[in-house]
Amino acid sequence: MIKAIGGLLLRALVVLSGTAILTFALLWNAPGDPAQAIAMARFDALLTDEVIDQVRTEVGLDRGFWQAFWAWLGPLLTLDFGNSAVTGRPVWPDLWASISYTFPLAFAALAIGLIISVPLAILATKRPGSLLDRLAVGVASIGNAIPAYWLGLILILIFAVKLAWLPALGASTPAHAILPALTLGLGVAASLTRIIRSGILEARGQPFLPAIRRRGVSERSMGRDHVAPHAAIPVVTVFGLELAFLLEGLVLVEVIFGRPGLGTFLVQAILSRDFSHVQAVVVLTALVFVIVNLAIDLIYRLIDPRIGESNA
Amino acid sequence: MRSVTLLVIAMVLLAALGPMLAPYDPNAINIPKRLSGPSPEFLLGTDALGRDILSRLLYGARWSLGLAFVISVISMVIGTTIGLAAALGGRLADWAAMRTTDTFLAFPELVAAIVIAGLMGAGTWSLIFALSVTGWMRYARVARGIGLSVQSRGYVVQARLAGLPSWSIARWHYLPSLIPSLTVVWTGMFARAILGISALGFLGFGVQPPNPEWGSMLLDARVHLRSTPLQMIWPGLAVVICVLAINLAGDALRAALAQQDAPE
Repeated sequence: MIKAIGGLLLRALVVLSGTAILTFALLWNAPGDPAQAIAMARFDALLTDEVIDQVRTEVGLDRGFWQAFWAWLGPLLTLDFGNSAVTGRPVWPDLWASISYTFPLAFAALAIGLIISVPLAILATKRPGSLLDRLAVGVASIGNAIPAYWLGLILILIFAVKLAWLPALGASTPAHAILPALTLGLGVAASLTRIIRSGILEARGQPFLPAIRRRGVSERSMGRDHVAPHAAIPVVTVFGLELAFLLEGLVLVEVIFGRPGLGTFLVQAILSRDFSHVQAVVVLTALVFVIVNLAIDLIYRLIDPRIGESNA
Repeated sequence: MRSVTLLVIAMVLLAALGPMLAPYDPNAINIPKRLSGPSPEFLLGTDALGRDILSRLLYGARWSLGLAFVISVISMVIGTTIGLAAALGGRLADWAAMRTTDTFLAFPELVAAIVIAGLMGAGTWSLIFALSVTGWMRYARVARGIGLSVQSRGYVVQARLAGLPSWSIARWHYLPSLIPSLTVVWTGMFARAILGISALGFLGFGVQPPNPEWGSMLLDARVHLRSTPLQMIWPGLAVVICVLAINLAGDALRAALAQQDAPE
């Protein structure tokens, strides 16, 4: 077990350093003059070459690639994201402010997704192939094909424009979070329903179940103690993918609903060529996903001891 | 299966013949008729510049579906090459290839594509690049997995003993076993590419105006949500129908393969 954890940690380290180098290389080689872009974002005016050169020296763009890379990586190792190239303010407080908008939204979306998909999948698998089952699969398939930004616009059209029940733009009250959370949550529900459904069906097909039933175990206990843990394995497997899907949706949904979250932060950073902001978001995201994947690997070994054995 | 096949054929035909069916030039500006609703003259109405939405949708199929095809094929070539290199190239190559795959997989693909396309500067080439370099990992994993399982088969061992070079073994013995599974992965990635192209278009990082790409049409329509809500429905519907058709085709293909592989 300890050896396995060590291996996973080493792998996580490799992945993180890979991401750091790739991001930096990408920013470094982005076409156009980054110093000019930063100066434009800062002063928003026609600029003389002296001003641009001044920005270049100040941000450290006049150094060589590796020199600049180490200068960036050093503080990063202590989780110091540095200062914004555009505003000059420290990155972390602004980044944290945007996360504080994104995190509750992601959590709400995940909750909505689970609240819809788990009962739906259980109901659908009561009688596989029944009308309800086929309906659930059909709706989930359509849901999987609907892009988050389009669903968001439709929800705005119905609930904000036509019915005027809910606010659409901004994030000033909790009510502003309802439509974006619903947009993302429905998407999560669509993909989870299919996965949980096939998880339950596969778990039902396990050869040990008839034996347990013969022993007189109640149907209720069968479902809870024997089918559910098995059905949970594929759900845990896709949890990382699900989270990635959620983050992808978040970027678009935040832009549509004008929420000042992480997605909006990233898009604005890209547009203004704010190197330190882009790097901060990318590294933080990579860190989160490495940790999530690590946790999934570990949970996996706990639920299903067979996995650890076959890998060792 | 048959209805899915028909749907996919209809989609391909629409993308190929769309421009012939389009009643107007997709970029023809007609300000007096701007933001008009559906009418016999403009079946789906017009956008903010008075351009015919139906014509733009039909031309847009070329951008959205055509680019998605190109992107999914490029990423298949990248992924298969890396996967086979991992399977055939020995321990070090395997380790390097798979850690690279992990690195790319560790990050939400679309977010990476947004960062790459955004930093490279908006445009069709950066769109193709961004979605291709973030879309090859699944192919690589599948190719490596099958590659490793083929390795121990008799005919491969014989070919190796006969002194065939690695690339030739890859071409003649690995590729045929790979094609069915890769096709299934490809359908999924094709659908993802359609979604990715329209998402980037919607953010303004993808295909640039005045080209009629579905995502950028949505971006235009968003501003006029109150006055002409229908304008925003069409491009989204086009994306949903195409993605759904491809996903269903992928499901059918996967089911057919599973049946073929299942023991009699």
